[in-house]
Amino acid sequence: MIRLIPNSANQIKRAEEICFKFDDQLIKAHKGETILVALMKNGIHHLRDAPTDGKPRGAFCCMGLCQECVVAVGGKLVESCETIATDGLIVQSLRH
Amino acid sequence: MTKTYDLAIVGGGIMGCSTALRLAEDGMKTIVLDQGDLGQGASGVNAGTLSLQIKRVKLMPYALKGHSEWEAMGEAVGFKKTGGFTLAFTEHEAELLYERQALKADAGAPITFVSNNALRAAEQNLSHKVLAASYCPEDGYANSSLTGQYYRIRLKENEVQFREKCNVKLITRNSSGFNLTTSCGTVHATRLLLAAGAWLKPIAADLGVDLPVRARVNTVSVTERMPPLISSIVGHATGLLTMKQKSNGAILIGGGWQGQGVPQDGRGNVTAKTLIPNLSLAQHVLPELSNARVTRSWVGFEANVPDFYPLAGALPGIENAFVLGCVRGGYTIGPYMGRLMGDYILGQEPELPLFDPGREFSEV
Amino acid sequence: MIKTCDVAIIGAGPAGANAGIMAASQGCHTIIIDEQAMPGGQIWRAKSEAIKSAPMTPEIIDGDKLRVSIAESNLTHIANAKVWQIERELDEWVLHFIINGRSEKIGAKVLILATGAREYVQPTPGWTLPGVIGLAGATALMKRDLLTPGKRTVVSGTGPLVFFVASEIRRLGGEVAAIVTPNSRADWLRALPSMSYRTDLLRRGFVWVADLLLAGIPIFWRHAIKQIDGETKVHSVKVSKVSSDWSPKGPARLIEADSVCTGHGLQAASDASQLLGIDVKYQLELGGWVPEVEEDGITKINGLFICGDGAGIRGAAAAEIQGKLAGLSAAKSIRPEVNSSNSTLLNSYRRASRFGMAMTRLSIPRKGFQKLITQETIVCRCESLRRCDIENEIETGAATTNAVKSGSRAGMGPCGGKYCQSTIAKIIADRENQSEEKIAPPTPRPPLRPVSASALSGEFEYTDLQIPKPAPL
Ligand SMILES: Cc1cc2nc3c(=O)[nH]c(=O)nc-3n(C[C@H](O)[C@H](O)[C@H](O)COP(=O)(O)OP(=O)(O)OC[C@H]3O[C@@H](n4cnc5c(N)ncnc54)[C@H](O)[C@@H]3O)c2cc1C
Ligand SMILES: Cc1cc2nc3c(=O)[nH]c(=O)nc-3n(C[C@H](O)[C@H](O)[C@H](O)COP(=O)(O)OP(=O)(O)OC[C@H]3O[C@@H](n4cnc5c(N)ncnc54)[C@H](O)[C@@H]3O)c2cc1C
Ligand code: FES
Repeated sequence: MIRLIPNSANQIKRAEEICFKFDDQLIKAHKGETILVALMKNGIHHLRDAPTDGKPRGAFCCMGLCQECVVAVGGKLVESCETIATDGLIVQSLRH
Repeated sequence: MTKTYDLAIVGGGIMGCSTALRLAEDGMKTIVLDQGDLGQGASGVNAGTLSLQIKRVKLMPYALKGHSEWEAMGEAVGFKKTGGFTLAFTEHEAELLYERQALKADAGAPITFVSNNALRAAEQNLSHKVLAASYCPEDGYANSSLTGQYYRIRLKENEVQFREKCNVKLITRNSSGFNLTTSCGTVHATRLLLAAGAWLKPIAADLGVDLPVRARVNTVSVTERMPPLISSIVGHATGLLTMKQKSNGAILIGGGWQGQGVPQDGRGNVTAKTLIPNLSLAQHVLPELSNARVTRSWVGFEANVPDFYPLAGALPGIENAFVLGCVRGGYTIGPYMGRLMGDYILGQEPELPLFDPGREFSEV
Repeated sequence: MIKTCDVAIIGAGPAGANAGIMAASQGCHTIIIDEQAMPGGQIWRAKSEAIKSAPMTPEIIDGDKLRVSIAESNLTHIANAKVWQIERELDEWVLHFIINGRSEKIGAKVLILATGAREYVQPTPGWTLPGVIGLAGATALMKRDLLTPGKRTVVSGTGPLVFFVASEIRRLGGEVAAIVTPNSRADWLRALPSMSYRTDLLRRGFVWVADLLLAGIPIFWRHAIKQIDGETKVHSVKVSKVSSDWSPKGPARLIEADSVCTGHGLQAASDASQLLGIDVKYQLELGGWVPEVEEDGITKINGLFICGDGAGIRGAAAAEIQGKLAGLSAAKSIRPEVNSSNSTLLNSYRRASRFGMAMTRLSIPRKGFQKLITQETIVCRCESLRRCDIENEIETGAATTNAVKSGSRAGMGPCGGKYCQSTIAKIIADRENQSEEKIAPPTPRPPLRPVSASALSGEFEYTDLQIPKPAPL
């Protein structure tokens, strides 16, 4: 089939892999990537449960504004879409 | 024929609204006028602390009465009686705490001094550097954001008229009372109550009365939801910190650090110069707060006169005109002051004395 | 002593960066602050460090050009810095920002706000499910990380961004399940005349659409997503036709997908302007509430300039030119000998604006769209408040955005109301039978972004805290 927009996925070279922990799961990420990107690549979208109704939530604005993607790192809440994953990082979801 | 009200109230804060409710009990035809929304001034943005430990000694009987009013308002205003601790960290602060809280206890507040162990047993997460602490089981908080909603509902229930987005621009007198020129038409009333908070001075000046009203610009901040950290309200011996954790987990931090701006310009501004020490002090008291993010800070205007006692009574020299405002800790005491003011306007003897707005004011 | 400069700029997108380059070229000591790691703003967002190499795109080429110009100028760029507060101290602006986990500040004689836009996303049942992201947000993911939003994505929304996002998904190897847009082909035809001067973009647009058609990807014109379903993640969406005012009508059709990108136009990010006391006015054709600014960036406040999408949604090309104009105005306010009147720039700004505003017109939701918000649909995501919660609050008598916020908590959450306030205004307008321009946005409050308490306080000694005198006993 003719594609006017070629698929260029295989031309992308990513940095070396690192590994961090999300709840009990080991997550592979490329160095320099945000926590969110690594999680999404691993098929993880459900990052927290909302207050009040307890419904699942995940990243929404992907640019540090909506606060939907917050996770806990070292006891502090951070936006996963803005926080770079580092090797050995321990990240906790806000899922109940 | 335009309608003439028995009373027009300028200002839909806690003072104006609570007075209106008292008057409705006796069937007085009242209208409340606010330039913005009901409870958009100090009454809607304050820290909501209901603490006897930060009330002035002379106002203690009023504050005690105020507390029972809040208890009665209950859930509808987010009332919680949590008890409160006041903390001192230096010798000097401890002295201040002993001296002040003892006087307040004498004035009737059930305040006691507590040991560090007792404090820690009650609140594990507070700083271990506390030197002295006092406790009052009557203390608690309410949610000031609900002030507008609460009074909107209550005024409607009691068939009291109110108009929002109705700025009173000019008040003149005529043979039968007062003419109020407002942004939504003219209002006639035989009596007048000025309850315009930090905006009292210009409106009283319309009637040729000079009230020495000034305004403080208090700062409040709130964090995002946090895991449970404190269950009581927590204050500082100097009064420059009040802190509570709401049931949703958010921590509200106040204490009256001064922002910038004047009421006439509309809204004031938070300034980093005072916000940062305010938040530092809060973290000193509750170290876990360093993990929190502040999501919002704001200021509100708290009116006062030089002696820091209320203006509550007849507007000097103007028959049938009254003024209520400048009450320190006015959120706590407001609902009760409104009741007293209502009694007075109705010609009944108030349960506790009012504060003559015509007195000589000396600076404290 | 704090660092001070002549001109400080917030935002290193097309507007801010060009303002900075211009001001610096006029001899002003200029600092530009941005929360992103690299200059470029939204349209030219740079790749993350995780990408070692990737095919070039027009956005990367233009962005790199800008980044080179900045590197070659005398401009100081402070990256990864979130401005949380701006104050006026005597004759100086003081900007407080978080960088490396600390709060720092700089002073400036004049300030240019070039804070760009944020996206309006129409609340719809299920829009809070993980896997649903903003259309503009998707561009950020794809530009920075070359990551598709999912494996099979429904791309939904208004204006040109839907087609750009769909083509990017395809370029990055993802599957586009369908395009769903309330715009009709006729809407686009009507916009063509104002687009004619950007033949480059027109050509790109045609390629995007032709590619989708060739690939047999359904494009649902005059449709909207009515509902998004899934347990902990999107598994399908229901789309239905919309009428000319974009009211949903007719039966729904089911599309399976694991992700959704959805967005309905941009709005000026005017929080900082409002905090500084600039009035906002409602101009639908510019995306809604916009600060009052002249074409050359001048505002009623001395030493304060605003440019780019933060002054109204006119698009990247206009942002670039207005940036230059604002840079000149700012330079002139410091060095009166600068000649700031530039009719060539002004004319090209007006031309570019016409194009941008045509795109904005296509993008802004029409009235019937509000019907997508059922009573149970979440409106305020932070506080999980539904349409019925907002309406109940209005029912008690709250008739302004401030009153609804106070009584219901809508907009009091960590996003600061960025994603609900315009919807709430629309609901109030609807209930009160008012036009939207009568419903002013709520009072803005600092911080501009959530800030960690420890970052604000830094290390401190208790004895160094200057606690004021206690109140009278
Ligand atoms: C930030 C802050 C924190 C505080 N914290 C506490 C606390 O924790 N505990 C406590 O007990 N007290 C606290 N206080 C004090 C308390 O909030 C006030 O004493 C009290 O709310 C004052 O009520 P008021 O009705 O007199 O004034 P306001 O609530 O300010 O009401 C005055 C009203 O008059 C209206 N108005 C003014 N001029 C006009 C006009 N010309 N026409 C129409 N309407 C007009 C205004 O819009 C306003 O709504 C705090 C105050 C502030 C500012
Ligand atoms: C998410 C998003 C994606 C978009 N993608 C495209 C696209 O692909 N193609 C297109 O033609 N148009 C796109 N647009 C429209 C685009 O915004 C404009 O056309 C153009 O980028 C506007 O330029 P600007 O300089 O005015 O603002 P922007 O490019 O938005 O730049 C504003 C900058 O200010 C920074 N900033 C804002 N507030 C602060 C703060 N408090 N502290 C620190 N930094 C701050 C931001 O990080 C940003 O870099 C997009 C818009 C958004 C919101
Ligand atoms: S997704 Fe919105 S802040 Fe991260």
